[in-house]
Amino acid sequence: MVTTAATSRRRSHRLPYLLVLPAVLLFLLFVLAPGVYALVLSFQARKVTGGLLGSTSKVVYAGLDNYRSVLGDSALWTSTLRMVAVGAIVIPVTVGLALLFALLLDTPRARLVRFSRLSIFLPYAVPGVIATLLWGFMYLPATSPIGGHYVDFFGSTQVFFSVANICVWGGVGFNMVVIFTALRALPPEIYEAARIDGASETQIALRIKVPMVLPAVAMCTLFTVLAALQLFNEPNTLKPLSNAISSDWVPLMKIYTDAFVNADIYHAAATSIVFAAGVLIVSFAAARMVQSRADLAGKGE
Amino acid sequence: MMTAVTAAGSIGRTGASRSGRRRRVALLPTVALVVGALYCIVPTLWILIASTKSPAELFSTETYLPSFSGGLAGNVRDLSSYGGGVYWHWMLNSFLYATIGGLAASTVSACAGYAIAKYAFRGRKLLFNAILAGVLLPQIVLAIPQYLLLSKVGLNDSYASIILPQLFNPYGIYLCRIYAAASVPDSVLEAGRMDGASEFRLFRSVGLRLMGPGLVTVFLLQFIVIWNNFLLPFVMVTSDDKFPLTVGLYSMLRHGADEAALYSLVITGTLLSVIPVIALFLSLQRYWRIDLVTGALK
Amino acid sequence: MKASHAGFTGVMLAGVLLAAGCGGSESGSTAPAPASGASSAAAGPVNLTFWDWDPNMDKVVALWNDAHPDIHVTLANPAGGDQLVSKMITAHQAKNGPDIAKVEYQSLPALVSGGVVRDITDLTKDTVTKFDDVTLKSTRFEGKVYGIPQDFAPLMLFYRTDVFKKYGIDVPTTWDEYAKAAADLHKKAPKVYMTNFDAGDPGWFTGLVQQAGADWWTTSGTSWHVDINGAPSKKVADYWENLVKSGIVQKNPSFSPQWNKQMNDGTLATWISGAWAPAQLGGIAPATKGKWAVAPLPAWTAGDPTTGIWGGSATTVTTDSKHPAEAAQFAAWLNTDDAAVSAQIENINVYPASTSGRSLPPLKSAPPFLPNQADYYDVVGKAAPSARAFSMWGPNVTVTFSSYTDAFGAALQSGTPFSGALDKMQDATVADMKKLGFSLS
Repeated sequence: MVTTAATSRRRSHRLPYLLVLPAVLLFLLFVLAPGVYALVLSFQARKVTGGLLGSTSKVVYAGLDNYRSVLGDSALWTSTLRMVAVGAIVIPVTVGLALLFALLLDTPRARLVRFSRLSIFLPYAVPGVIATLLWGFMYLPATSPIGGHYVDFFGSTQVFFSVANICVWGGVGFNMVVIFTALRALPPEIYEAARIDGASETQIALRIKVPMVLPAVAMCTLFTVLAALQLFNEPNTLKPLSNAISSDWVPLMKIYTDAFVNADIYHAAATSIVFAAGVLIVSFAAARMVQSRADLAGKGE
Repeated sequence: MMTAVTAAGSIGRTGASRSGRRRRVALLPTVALVVGALYCIVPTLWILIASTKSPAELFSTETYLPSFSGGLAGNVRDLSSYGGGVYWHWMLNSFLYATIGGLAASTVSACAGYAIAKYAFRGRKLLFNAILAGVLLPQIVLAIPQYLLLSKVGLNDSYASIILPQLFNPYGIYLCRIYAAASVPDSVLEAGRMDGASEFRLFRSVGLRLMGPGLVTVFLLQFIVIWNNFLLPFVMVTSDDKFPLTVGLYSMLRHGADEAALYSLVITGTLLSVIPVIALFLSLQRYWRIDLVTGALK
Repeated sequence: MKASHAGFTGVMLAGVLLAAGCGGSESGSTAPAPASGASSAAAGPVNLTFWDWDPNMDKVVALWNDAHPDIHVTLANPAGGDQLVSKMITAHQAKNGPDIAKVEYQSLPALVSGGVVRDITDLTKDTVTKFDDVTLKSTRFEGKVYGIPQDFAPLMLFYRTDVFKKYGIDVPTTWDEYAKAAADLHKKAPKVYMTNFDAGDPGWFTGLVQQAGADWWTTSGTSWHVDINGAPSKKVADYWENLVKSGIVQKNPSFSPQWNKQMNDGTLATWISGAWAPAQLGGIAPATKGKWAVAPLPAWTAGDPTTGIWGGSATTVTTDSKHPAEAAQFAAWLNTDDAAVSAQIENINVYPASTSGRSLPPLKSAPPFLPNQADYYDVVGKAAPSARAFSMWGPNVTVTFSSYTDAFGAALQSGTPFSGALDKMQDATVADMKKLGFSLS
């Protein structure tokens, strides 16, 4: 078929729209529409009318009632603090270990590198729910192969570390590979001068490698922050195993309990909206910080 | 811990003797790596041991010791007959969801990422920001309204209800955009245009081909996301023959009030569910282009 | 390929937006549509969906399907217990619940209140005569029947005969004796505990307070009175707090791997549980077959046979069902037909709710896991008439129950008083009922 220049140009205008169309439609359908619907629900409430059991309930406009009760609910703030506490452990430990392992993998003359890299990466392929089941068995004294008889992994303080550990376990491998790949992309010549000057491998790692892979580390931090904000599967699956985890242990569990256990989707919707707003603010801040750090690192290069 | 040290030590010695002139193996880093590796595989090893125990042995024998009384075969048999073989159905479902969802999501992402990277069109900036915001929204916030909306069009409890909401993958689009920008040179596209190729043909035969390796990574990332997803299928489907593995195993654990959980079966099921993903990753290992993830910031 | 995909999503988008536009204003359907079998009689075989989490229920449903080619029942097991209630409520919001569902007694008022479960009074006039009033009380509110009782589970004391014998413990008949036995046992064998206080499952605690005479919800006219932290409940809470504080009772939740292990290895010497326990013990502690025996629940005053109830379920018909008459017919068959009930006793180990069901031949022999106790069903049968339930379950039991898990879990974790946990439950329950608009007195 012969195409004239004119039609080809017209097509070139149409193609990008065609290409983004599926993504746009999916976004409208599965992000925007549910988001708007949640917003609508958050301004409603179910009220029972008449009869002992009020089986003739109806949905009414509730104004800001749900939001008032969400913001005035101390349990939600407590659960947010718990999430922050777990995040405060998970984020530095995950990123720190990922960086450490990546540097170790990149160390000349380290052995068992392939085995270690695969082993550390392996938990990434294990779903969070299943990873939590695994660790649950590790923690409970009755089945613990790691000393659960001596340490109470579900003590009031320990439980934060127990939950954090599952997140770290699942997250280190992926981040390690990200940083390791960044290390591998560096030209080896840049170490040569330092080696000739007699710098130790530790010095090379700290003074040359770490600054060079800062953008990757920043990216990993962002991933880990995002994951920490969505903390749900781990505590929710651990809950039946111990008294230490309540049904509103983290904000997402609170939303889940409201929506699916207490059948109050309206309250859950309002909590979701408040939580999502908070997450967006924190995430944008984190993303911005990561971006500026990356810029800094870029300038240092 | 002890074994880690001795193992590393012995390897150190053989290493030294083999490469006469060179200095000794970096002992400390190797030990640290092995400790890390053990940390990551010990739970998996434990489950391997636990799955060899019959239900009667699981809570009555020494935790560390595997059983050789044929418990594993018995567990696999019980698991296969549980609910008329529904476990294997779950595994098949997980594969279907993750494969179809992964392929479709990478296609959608590739199209959108390429367009955003290679064309200046109206709404581009807005679109990209909306996509970025999409990365940040927790899934649970959308799960309930998604369920209610999909139910209204009669798609609840269907395969589509699990796959469709996961096709929009903001992170995938983001990566594809970066990858298209980096791997598809404008000069090649210009040359193609000179030769009279249509834009669509350029996308298909130049763009997609050059983005290929990156797309495998986008696919694998999305495959894992869907494979590991619990909440969405838990909310969406009610028929146990549509469960993926995550929901199925969870339902076996919390089978019903006042009812014993099927721990032996859950443990065996967990073990069997981890194996195929590991196999998949090992076989696709060389197609992993993680530098794409890192390059994203450049 | 691409175009058709886009077209498909486009149609979807339009559909969803349309649906979203007109939805969201109503929910909680009102009085059930007039039930008539006529609507479906002409349209060939009727298909019904049945949500139930009983293992082996498929065998019982197969019996029905073989005998009723015109009404086909499809069994699904989306979740168990309280999780199924959540699923039913969510499904009802989207108007696509099942036709028939198994519902635990305590959840039934909530589902009636949510408009999920249908009033089947007119469809079950003959069926209800096959149950005694104690049983029927759990499914009949304000004279309307909302479900057919499936099983009945008086609270019993299960104990390890071998452990009791080894340490010379007599079977306690009062709670005083139980506490003394607990102390005695733990002293003789420091690694053995009488039982565990379960903060994970509210069902057994409510059974205990029922025995003590508590009535968490009472009604007068159309208003409710909530009394979760009243004297009888506090008596039970204080009793257990004392045992926990003395360190003679474990405090981890039941049904966890930890608990399974303790049930297996003899760490726990008794289990206060419903009549369904023998079936569960096989899965929980397979190594202890033949080592358990049953006795009546210890009494607060010697000789008082009153006990409580843990669990028990009804078969309900939903408001979403388009074939309520057929669904009610199935529910009646499942719980009153001799063959169906016998099959449930044999395959699911239920203790039947129907009066006639309690004298069926399968109940003449010991349950498989307790071969040593041939009179098992006699003991249970004697306890059943003295079982005391709340006069009614509240319309928001899920809130009360999740509050139980949180409040008692926290009390055990931090050593705060159990009575404070009851106060928290009272507050949470009242606040939720007020929010929903129930009138309280």
